[in-house]
Amino acid sequence: MTGRGTERLADLATYVIALVLIALFAAPLLWLVSLAIRTPAEVFLGAARFIPDQPTLANFEQILTDRTFGLYLWNGIKLCALGAMGALVVSVPAAYVFSRRSFRGASALMLGILTVQMVSPLVLLIPLYRYMERLGLLETHAAAAGVYMALGVPLSVWMLKASFDAIPKSLEQAAAVDGCSPAGTLFFVTLPLAAPGMASAFILNMLMGWSQFLVPFILLSRDQLQPISVAIFNFAGSTSASTTQLLAAACVITVLPAIAAFLALQRLIVSAIMAGAVKG
Amino acid sequence: MTMSDTPVAAQKAPRRPKRARPAAWPWLAPALLMLGAFYLVPILDVLRLAFGDATLLRSVESYGLEGIQQTLSSPALPGVLWVTVVFTAASVIGILATGMLVALTVVRGEMRGLWGMSALRTVVLTAWVVPGIANGLIWQMLFSEAPFGALNSTLAVFGIAPVRWLSDPSNAMVSAAIANVWQGTAFAMIVFYAARKGLSQDLYAAAAIDGAGPFARFLFITLPQMRAAILVATVLVTIQTLNTFDVILALTGGGPGRATEVLSLFTFNTVFYNFDLSGGSALALILVLIALLLTVVYIRLLGDRPDQDK
Repeated sequence: MTGRGTERLADLATYVIALVLIALFAAPLLWLVSLAIRTPAEVFLGAARFIPDQPTLANFEQILTDRTFGLYLWNGIKLCALGAMGALVVSVPAAYVFSRRSFRGASALMLGILTVQMVSPLVLLIPLYRYMERLGLLETHAAAAGVYMALGVPLSVWMLKASFDAIPKSLEQAAAVDGCSPAGTLFFVTLPLAAPGMASAFILNMLMGWSQFLVPFILLSRDQLQPISVAIFNFAGSTSASTTQLLAAACVITVLPAIAAFLALQRLIVSAIMAGAVKG
Repeated sequence: MTMSDTPVAAQKAPRRPKRARPAAWPWLAPALLMLGAFYLVPILDVLRLAFGDATLLRSVESYGLEGIQQTLSSPALPGVLWVTVVFTAASVIGILATGMLVALTVVRGEMRGLWGMSALRTVVLTAWVVPGIANGLIWQMLFSEAPFGALNSTLAVFGIAPVRWLSDPSNAMVSAAIANVWQGTAFAMIVFYAARKGLSQDLYAAAAIDGAGPFARFLFITLPQMRAAILVATVLVTIQTLNTFDVILALTGGGPGRATEVLSLFTFNTVFYNFDLSGGSALALILVLIALLLTVVYIRLLGDRPDQDK
């Protein structure tokens, strides 16, 4: 049958397109890994040594045994974890009320939250820099984490509301009948059920925090306080062609935790984003 | 500030007959205070600063329109705006087109039970979680103009002369857009994937009976049916592209010359390198206005959708 024949042909075309796309999207990261496991001599051989003759882990060793680099990693984790936790703590009650109550101004507030999210962090940081300066909070992780936290709140409120919306109210009503207070209901009934939504909101906040560059770049200038994103930028400014492999190794180490966390929870995160995208 | 809405909620609560229904505002207060302090106050302050003459080291001493006038008549601004328009348009078109291609490929492959579709989706999503700064640095290695640079040494294998990816102004723009598209495609893919999955297969079956080819089906079914998703993705990707510059900062630093200095990077440089706080605030105001305008469009788009519960 010709119909089946054309379908087969279309399958082949799909495979070809998929392979080309996979190659194009994977190439930058593969090249990065390739550079990171080369000796300096092989870096200068370019594409001819895409798979190095003498692969080495020496670059990673050098980066990871550098004490300040460990500090940068720790700073990055600390800032994004504090920011993500803080964002969830303030967003949960708000999202819960948005989900469970209808009160006047609720949808206007939700739209307001959506709107502020669209404002560039750069715009906010111009005045925030001055406030932090006056409060003596420049060069502190507390101030930076506070901004990470604030930047995560709008997205968290929207995501958590969506996940609370999906939990049947009847379960909460049962708890209320048994004499559970609203806060108790939220804690013991709703939150456990909303665990997948909470987890994906938390991981998304962590990923955004891990990528965050502008906030620490502006609010922190002391080297020991910098997270990894700022550190690799500064490192890149000080490297030359002969240390490309070290920069590549540093980039791999920066990128890897984000990719690993994401892959581990991919299904959860994508479905959360998809729910947001479909519903708005 | 943000509290203006809460008394309304507080008044309403006592009217509810059920027990243990305290007002909504204590639940909202932490989030709203946070948003007030970190969003609303700064935005209003940017507005104030834009009309003043503050520098990063000195507060406003007098207000007036001279600052804004001076900023808007800066000889660099028209060029920066043009760069912003070109970069944003190239990125948005690239992201939407690539995102659509990936989404439709994955959907078709999944329907036919083809192998490797989740690999494609995963690879695209992986690029998305790469921090923007790392993205810029990675592409800088790829676009390196040294003889051993990734792309140029690959071209050399095929006997093609090296390309000045980053040192030629118009190439640099293309390079920056490519790096941005690589990272941004995932978002468009997710939106389009969800939208395409939601389309009824009947439409395609009917079209197939009528003898419509794949291209006709794409043009006359997929595109019109996915109109809402395409518009939403366009608005969100545009905002996202306008707001960020870490990829450009790490890749080209805005250069060569000012060839890739977009508005947000120009604003950043004005405030934090030239210490011109008021001038930078005036520029920031342009960013805010564009973002607000696009958000209004976005909210209208959401409201137009019949399945929306708002």
